[in-house]
Amino acid sequence: MVKFYESTFTYDYSFPAVTLAYFLRYPNPYSTHVLSTDVISRAIDGAGRLQTTRIHRKSSRLPPAVLKLLPKSVSGNVSGGRSESYILETSTIDVKEGWMWTESKNLDWTGILSVIEKQEYQRQIPVDEGDDFSVGAGTTGVVTTVMFKSRLGDRLRARATRKGEAAVADADDEPKKGFLANWSKTGIQRSIEAIASRKTENQLGKSKEGMMVVLERLRSGGLVGVLEGMREDRKSMYGQEGK
Amino acid sequence: MSASLAPECNDAKERYDSCFLKWYSEKYLRGKGTTDECAGLFKEYKQCLTTALKDRGIDKMLEEAREDHKENDTLNMRRK
Repeated sequence: MVKFYESTFTYDYSFPAVTLAYFLRYPNPYSTHVLSTDVISRAIDGAGRLQTTRIHRKSSRLPPAVLKLLPKSVSGNVSGGRSESYILETSTIDVKEGWMWTESKNLDWTGILSVIEKQEYQRQIPVDEGDDFSVGAGTTGVVTTVMFKSRLGDRLRARATRKGEAAVADADDEPKKGFLANWSKTGIQRSIEAIASRKTENQLGKSKEGMMVVLERLRSGGLVGVLEGMREDRKSMYGQEGK
Repeated sequence: MSASLAPECNDAKERYDSCFLKWYSEKYLRGKGTTDECAGLFKEYKQCLTTALKDRGIDKMLEEAREDHKENDTLNMRRK
């Protein structure tokens, strides 16, 4: 695993409010690429911690530079550079100790790029915040770590080796063989990882902005305010209310 | 509320989500939520969702991913 990005941030909102905003963060005006969110499982463990697994469906636009690197067999199911992908999100909340741990990772496209985002939220004022979670009592720190790894190079190399063997009898394939065999594994991985790193930094900013919008709605209008905002966002995303 | 990946599950999801948010904000966050009061509604929603996941072939992706998670969870819980 390659460690790629780590950042810390402090939300000027209480820990309970931040956890609520985390569950309610889609849809928001910065998340138009998130098409759906479903709960796969939810349980309270023996220590009173709430464990949740969710699946998000996202539409993603692959950068042309990545598309160019992909073999046809992979890029064939991408139309116009658009595709859908699924993200698995697990979270554990300990409301007594005041921490939330989350992990998100892509379920498909893992042969090309695996991205794992981990977040640790921590209540920063170790006093009882009482019942008033809708106002900014106390602050909440979060450490975000994103790790990613491209396995594409391994696959392409294996393919090139097989092709090379088959091409021995066929002189026409010679230049192709040379090209593919020289295409260095680390070079491809670095290209994909460099593109991913630019996209990830951009995306992390957007997800923080999204959280801020939801938190502000919570502060000004409570739970009702958040739900109303969501309805508006959904209407503008799909052009209709509900489905 | 956010949409379900399966439009036919939207109603069941909405009912469950509303129940959960009420329980989470009014009870769990105040240290009073020791039991899951929305289990019945979750069962209904989950029934619809399970079929949808199977139809779309997502159940297999989930199985593979959750095998990895089990190991990670053990590590993370130990850390705390």
